[in-house]
Amino acid sequence: MLLDVTKNLLEGFAVSCQIFGGTLVFGIPLGLLVAFGSMNRWAPFKRTVKAEGRFASVLRSFKPIAFIVRVFIWIIRGTPLLLQLIVIFFGAAILIGHAVFDRVTAAIVTFSINYACYFAVIFRGGIEAVPKGQFEAGLVLGMTRAQIFTKVTLLQLIKRIMPAMSNEIITLVKDTALARIIGVTEIIYYGYRYVTAQALIWPLFYTGVFFLAFVGALTLLFAYIERKLDYIKIL
Amino acid sequence: MKILEVVGLGKKFDGFEAVKDVSFSLESGEVLAVIGASGSGKTTLLRCLNFLETPESGKIIVKGKTIFDAESQTGYSDSQIRKNRLHFGLVFQSFNLFPQYTALKNVTLACELLARSEPGFKMDKVEILAGIEGNAREILDSVGLSDRLNHYPHQLSGGQQQRVAIARALALHPDILCFDEPTSALDPELTGEVLKVIRSLAAKQTTMIIVTHEMSFASGISDKVIFMDEGAALAQGSPKEILCDSSNARIQAFLRKIDVADGE
Repeated sequence: MLLDVTKNLLEGFAVSCQIFGGTLVFGIPLGLLVAFGSMNRWAPFKRTVKAEGRFASVLRSFKPIAFIVRVFIWIIRGTPLLLQLIVIFFGAAILIGHAVFDRVTAAIVTFSINYACYFAVIFRGGIEAVPKGQFEAGLVLGMTRAQIFTKVTLLQLIKRIMPAMSNEIITLVKDTALARIIGVTEIIYYGYRYVTAQALIWPLFYTGVFFLAFVGALTLLFAYIERKLDYIKIL
Repeated sequence: MKILEVVGLGKKFDGFEAVKDVSFSLESGEVLAVIGASGSGKTTLLRCLNFLETPESGKIIVKGKTIFDAESQTGYSDSQIRKNRLHFGLVFQSFNLFPQYTALKNVTLACELLARSEPGFKMDKVEILAGIEGNAREILDSVGLSDRLNHYPHQLSGGQQQRVAIARALALHPDILCFDEPTSALDPELTGEVLKVIRSLAAKQTTMIIVTHEMSFASGISDKVIFMDEGAALAQGSPKEILCDSSNARIQAFLRKIDVADGE
């Protein structure tokens, strides 16, 4: 019996891991993109609007790209992930007339977009916390913006955001269970089936063991990374 | 030969004129000290020369070539600005060393990145990188840090950090090395070691522009002094003319204040 349950739950856990891994692979780069978007300084009216007054000065400082991205972040962070899963999976299918994604893909897409917005805010905080002098030192040494980001800012950024990121990533592990709403057969789906079909409660607790073990491993990994970055003392 | 000519340089921040119509020139090997009260535009002037700020008026001419002209119709691309920047080096008040790199790597990083963008890099990679490292070791040795190559910035004292920052700027062989109050963030007992390094650079005919509040240092090291007041270069001349013999009331008032502060 135990072996049987373990086998079933492992099957579900593999799906959970797929969503988890996919979200990190797509969500982190997307989050970086969203972070840069939310910090975009393009202000088309800065020089063209010459008028005096409050409205004109607001218009001059209006940054359309940053504004749109920030509204997007507001919508994604402001609505339930559960709702977003339903909208992306069923909504897209209704709109187009047939299923666009399979269930796991839809879950990964939704989770990536959702988590990217949370990551983006963490990234923005990290980027803004790196002293401006670091950027300027890179500039006067003739580096390009891209070089300054990858060679100077990035590692300091990673060090600063590790605690916040570990929170998000651990939350993500458990959020994967939400994918059940669009019929993804993740681990809790299997656990719950034992409750309804065989009136067994312990497989449900057993799913908790999987989560605990996985989060435990992640916690050790984060501690290891933080220790590795300990040599950087931010001045 | 004139290595640098600055003509009518001006910079505004939201209508506030931080630098007003500043002109001066420097011969190769000369040291220029820029003095004046806080907020008189000294730092902004240096930042304009290093293109951290874009001047609204004026010209910057290095070795006879106009590298910046505010009147230019075409403007300047990022890569042009980056190239022009390399005529200047800048040492910051707050060092701004990269905390994740050792002293040696702080000095070699920019050189390596520049070398990588050269066409022949892949062919002679090992040789080029060895050359860069050798150059960095030599420069760090010349600022007295040959025993601190593999230390991270946080393991160094403020004076040592600033000397690494000087070495980092020197490694790119700028035509003109700029210092923005290089000792203002240092404890008095660490100031000396940094000033000593700057003096040794002057002895090696390094062209330098130094913004400083250390008046005796400025008068000792410089060939020329500019006194800035409210963004304008109120007076310029030899250290003796500005610091000793000036009849200008503003300069006298400024020097009196500094003297009082030093006496405390």
